[in-house]
Amino acid sequence: MSELFLREKSVFRLRLLPWEYGIRNLFRRPTRSALTLSALTTVVLLVLVVVAFIRGLESSLAVSGDPRVVLVYSIGASADIENSAIPARTAALLSASLDGVASRFGASYVAPELYIGTKVQATSNSPGMFGIVRGVTPATPLLRRQVQMLEGKWPGAGEVLVGRLTAAKLGCDPHLLQIGQTIRFDGHEWRISGRFTAGGAAFESEIWASLADLQNALKRQDLSLVAVGLAVNASPSDVEMFCKERPDLELQAVSETVYYASLQKHYQPVRMLGWVVVVLVAAAGVFAGLNTMYGAVVGRVRELSTLQAVGFRRRSIVISLIQEATLLSMTASVLASAVALFVVNGTAVRFTMGAFALRVDSLAILVGCGTGLMLGLVGAIPPALKAMRYPVVEGLKAI
Amino acid sequence: MLTKYRITIAAFAIVAASVIVGCGTSSSPQNAAAPSAEGAAYRLTTEPAGAKGVKETRADAKDEQEVTLVGRIGGDANPWVEGQAAFLVIDSALKPCGADEGCPTPWDCCCDPNLSPETKAMVKIVDGSGKTVSMDAKKLLGLKELQTVVVHGRAKRDESGNLTVLADGVFVRN
Repeated sequence: MSELFLREKSVFRLRLLPWEYGIRNLFRRPTRSALTLSALTTVVLLVLVVVAFIRGLESSLAVSGDPRVVLVYSIGASADIENSAIPARTAALLSASLDGVASRFGASYVAPELYIGTKVQATSNSPGMFGIVRGVTPATPLLRRQVQMLEGKWPGAGEVLVGRLTAAKLGCDPHLLQIGQTIRFDGHEWRISGRFTAGGAAFESEIWASLADLQNALKRQDLSLVAVGLAVNASPSDVEMFCKERPDLELQAVSETVYYASLQKHYQPVRMLGWVVVVLVAAAGVFAGLNTMYGAVVGRVRELSTLQAVGFRRRSIVISLIQEATLLSMTASVLASAVALFVVNGTAVRFTMGAFALRVDSLAILVGCGTGLMLGLVGAIPPALKAMRYPVVEGLKAI
Repeated sequence: MLTKYRITIAAFAIVAASVIVGCGTSSSPQNAAAPSAEGAAYRLTTEPAGAKGVKETRADAKDEQEVTLVGRIGGDANPWVEGQAAFLVIDSALKPCGADEGCPTPWDCCCDPNLSPETKAMVKIVDGSGKTVSMDAKKLLGLKELQTVVVHGRAKRDESGNLTVLADGVFVRN
């Protein structure tokens, strides 16, 4: 009785095609498999590049702000610090008037800065590119804690520091921005005294000069902003309150994180466009995959009918076809991820505010591999189902 | 047939109700909201007498003098101070930007050429110990931009002529 039951059970059990069958099939048509693999890799790589662009832009603005730092600048400048001009005495005034300013070893965390966009020449005969120059004081690194010196020394008279991505921003060869080289802006020559990094923050594409030197070169005595570091018990609203109580100074105070969040909003359309491109590329990939799989399956009608004739169920054959396609698309995902990680990741991209590095992070890999998986599954199911609708007898006679 | 009529009447009633409610909301955007439980003590139910405008008060008031100031909430895209019961008021003579100007923050009066530091004053709601109440003025007193308020309190002047009113009571005119 039990033997009969087991025999019946084995009759109705779904018998899958061996795993090796699908793998061997891929190697039976190496050219077609290689071409499909290349197409899928290209699609996944494109998706990874676009997502890396979005993540790089987001990350650059997100890590630029420090919640303990408040930016004080001109009320008329709206959200653009470059247009701000405030009196030079503002730094001393803030330092003297605010109770919640952080200090260490007698040094107040108040950094006056001049922030300008100007044409910078990396060589004397180059046409020059738009660069960002920040006039800084020794108080600046107290507030810009992401900044780390890579090599060289703090700039003295006639000297500048360049960020890790300054060359990308200026569109020049990084060798032209080595220590000891000279760059030109605003009618002066500046010797590079050192290089710095800022953990992916927007500062990395800037050029830093001594504030006093820059003011002399520009014949300006005013400032663009004052960055104020808050003590543990203070809040950004204390600085905001001071600015609103003194309308004669025409200042506004904005937390640095809020400032960069507002810039993120400014770039929202670019990010949205990026995601639209991801969807379009993925959709194009699915259609290309469908086309390839239709071709691959239609050419194998006789083989698939034979499998049915020897007893394999249609469902088993469909699963085997999906397995082949998924295997190919996941291999493509792995290849594309490897290329993205080793070639694309960290590539500098120039944009209006500076430059940022493309970021192939876990989310980018997840989106890329997810797209790859979708290409395999969605691309294989419709042609596989179509092939299964062929009558077995006709299929066996197919050439 | 009867069901069809019922549906039509019901749809008409819903549309009419939404139009009535919609009109009611938009016609009185400055109606004062109720203050919070903490803010009730600072919200005056009767208007204090002898209120002067911002410009006049800035010209006359001495430091520590008791003042009654009337002004409109605005003068900045963000007239509030986050987490503090403090806000900016401007002289009522200033005109907010018109609807046709396309200004997203008409209360900053950026379109009025008369806007200057002399037309602005800061209002801080202070408790019995003279400390600013740690709560957004909007939540504390149910205020919003462009409302005209009459504030009673003590003037605080600085060497540049700026005026801050350390207020113990606020009356909302509209």
